[in-house]
Amino acid sequence: MNNKFLETRNVTKTFGKLKALDDVNFNLYQGKIHGLLGENGAGKSSLMNILSGIYQPDKGSIYLDGEKQKILNPDFASKLGIGMVHQEFRLVESFSIKDNLTLSKSNIYKNDFLKSFKKYSEIFALNVNENEIISNLSVGEKQKIEIMKLIFNDSRIMLLDEPTAVLTPQETSQLKNSLVTLAQEDMKTMVLITHKLKEIKEFTEIVSVMKNGKMVAQDLPTKDVTDNQLIELMMGTVKTSTVNKDNEVGKIKLNVENINYTDSVNNIKKLEDINFQVKAGEILGLAGVSGNGQVELANIISGIERIYEGKIIIDNTDVSSKGVRSRKKLNLSYIPENRLGVGLAPGVSVIDNSIVKDYFHTKLGPHLSRNKTSNYLESLIKQFSIKAPNPKAEISTLSGGNMQKLLMGRELVGDPDVIIASQPTRGLDVNAVDAIHNLLIDQRNKGSAIFLISEDLDELFKLSHRLLVIFEGKIVKSFNTVDADINDVGLAMAGVNE
Amino acid sequence: MNKYILTKRQVVNELSTFYSFLLGFLIALMIGSIILLIQDKNPFDTFSLMFKLSIGSVNSLSSSLNKATPLILAGLGIAIINTVKLWNIGAEGQIFMGAIAVNLIYINFQLTNSTSFIFVLLVSAFIGGAFCILIPAITKVLFGVNEIITTLLTNYIVIGLTIYLVNGPWKDPGSLNFPAAAYVGKEVYLPTIFGKLSYGFLICILFTVFAHYLKNSSVFGYEMRIAGGSEMTAIYAGINAKQKAFFAMLIGGGFAGLAGGVELLSQTHRVSTGISQGFGYTAIIVAAITGMRPIGIFLVGSLFGALSIGGSVIQTIGVSTYIADIIQASTLFGALVIQFFFNYKLKRADDG
Repeated sequence: MNNKFLETRNVTKTFGKLKALDDVNFNLYQGKIHGLLGENGAGKSSLMNILSGIYQPDKGSIYLDGEKQKILNPDFASKLGIGMVHQEFRLVESFSIKDNLTLSKSNIYKNDFLKSFKKYSEIFALNVNENEIISNLSVGEKQKIEIMKLIFNDSRIMLLDEPTAVLTPQETSQLKNSLVTLAQEDMKTMVLITHKLKEIKEFTEIVSVMKNGKMVAQDLPTKDVTDNQLIELMMGTVKTSTVNKDNEVGKIKLNVENINYTDSVNNIKKLEDINFQVKAGEILGLAGVSGNGQVELANIISGIERIYEGKIIIDNTDVSSKGVRSRKKLNLSYIPENRLGVGLAPGVSVIDNSIVKDYFHTKLGPHLSRNKTSNYLESLIKQFSIKAPNPKAEISTLSGGNMQKLLMGRELVGDPDVIIASQPTRGLDVNAVDAIHNLLIDQRNKGSAIFLISEDLDELFKLSHRLLVIFEGKIVKSFNTVDADINDVGLAMAGVNE
Repeated sequence: MNKYILTKRQVVNELSTFYSFLLGFLIALMIGSIILLIQDKNPFDTFSLMFKLSIGSVNSLSSSLNKATPLILAGLGIAIINTVKLWNIGAEGQIFMGAIAVNLIYINFQLTNSTSFIFVLLVSAFIGGAFCILIPAITKVLFGVNEIITTLLTNYIVIGLTIYLVNGPWKDPGSLNFPAAAYVGKEVYLPTIFGKLSYGFLICILFTVFAHYLKNSSVFGYEMRIAGGSEMTAIYAGINAKQKAFFAMLIGGGFAGLAGGVELLSQTHRVSTGISQGFGYTAIIVAAITGMRPIGIFLVGSLFGALSIGGSVIQTIGVSTYIADIIQASTLFGALVIQFFFNYKLKRADDG
């Protein structure tokens, strides 16, 4: 390999108590496409944000072309030729393509705009007029403009954060060709952040892997590493604890048949032929990296998303065309992934949030008397040991753990027949995680059918009887947790089918 | 490097709104005093005269409460709409629409029983107010059009409509060219309880209780609170957030319409551009000061009614009526600033 174009040495960044980056070394070589692999929260985005000047490192230094640089802000980074494409586009929607591309003061194609726009349109196979307004473009086209913006701003190093997440397979392979051309003809240096192994293999020459804020493997030549090696590096050793799973399993409580769902906003197929059953007393895990269709699936089962194909059967009742309320009446509980915003209403009091599930039942209505609601909250607080000193305070004054306990408690009261628990322990500390796990196991022993959506393999192996893996909206594999190999699950999550 | 950051207080004193109102009112009195001193008037004399002339006798007290009635009713409407975190700037127009509805029914129908006729007229006032906010409600729910703009704009339309009616089809030939509709008959005047105090004030008390119940203790109020907190949570809970917003707006508009109806039947007795003297705008101040609490709106609305009466009579000693407006507006400013420090605290933070 030739000399290092950009190098970070011993970069450390902490947020409060959390060490997001721990002594990270990272190299980039000119004219190459680099892969940066890692689970959610491994530190990939933090590293990229430091390179693009959004964060400042606590310790460590950055060298560009052998010279030490302090990248104070994004403007500074763009002067050095470092640009980033974020997952959420940063385009001015009401401006034309031309205005967006020439907006920055570092733009280099002011005079011969048309010529260069034509040249790069060809490379990106983009077929739109430069005066088109951004909001009229498809997601794939916007993506291309985002990358083109970096080229027009003379970026030599282009950091691409999950660029394929919003693309169709055809668009993805098209993007690959464009990026390869840019690397070869313009000597652009690129970093592709992803957790899809297939793309690492197809797009990149060099791959680095991060885990828990550390760089666990550096500068691996992509063609020489196997999928298994990458998965092992990415997942590390998962401590697989387990709980007693010999409880009694009963009849089918939740039956999901042939679910197909297409996102109507950007017309992307989000779920394809999803089929599974969950029995009373059983925990069925759904493993997968976030954004592979889990939220959509949970919303369809709980009745929030109403436009889809397929059948949802709860306790032998077909509820496919029914709404949230009638599914609740069949004793279905949904613990959504988005705690504050979906499960709990921000800006509303603790006591109001505590009765969201049951307020319309006769025992609390029709007049919501102070006494009844206070007693209801009081019993939740006692039963689930929630710390909520002031019932009238806004819900956001509770800690994350207590919010989740309140949400869980509220949804578990009345021993639901079916529970959809989506990322129930994300972002919680060890004690809170244990408490939540115990609640789920208690509920399982009482005969609830539990569908557990998570990307934490330890949690899935610990709790579930069976495990499904979702990737790009399809169930790609199923495992019996007792005899499953954690690396096989990891490979399936990363989209590798042998 | 030290800098200060604002952090939200974990626990906010339950009476904080009341305290901030009191402090805000004190600040407003001080500002009023400064202005009076600049004009070489004695603030103490002026304020005590205002006090005496607004609540010092049965007559002045009942005038004050009559004045407070439309303020309170419109304020309650604003508070109900705010339960879903929407703002009604259109109470002024809804007041006019309520009065127009009353006159429309009055000149087209006649009921021999005057009590039931008054009741029908008051119901029409409510419906008129609700009708006035119908288009903002529909555009909000269907297309997400900002209700602050649309409710504000309907004010101009309705006031324009009023001007047209009182200069055109409804113009009273006997009004000596003053643009106004004919007076309604004495049989539909709202009677008085004692002194000059109209039964409108009794309606006002009933609706305060109703609004308090609706907002705080009814299932509908609960659903409005959740829908106002987060539309996603509402959908998750099986609550139709858009439907709640729609009905909250209609009910709130109806309250303001009722204010216009009561004002017509108890005070002005005819439709003219003088039906409201900015009640719909002052009601926003009243509702905002009290943190949208119905009981608070009743109390502050009564005080503001008294201030208006006091303000209008001190002209006799050469003080401008506007001193009352200044005190009302400064109370809001003061109260909002004080409330801010109840909700947030300034904390010194180390760099980072």
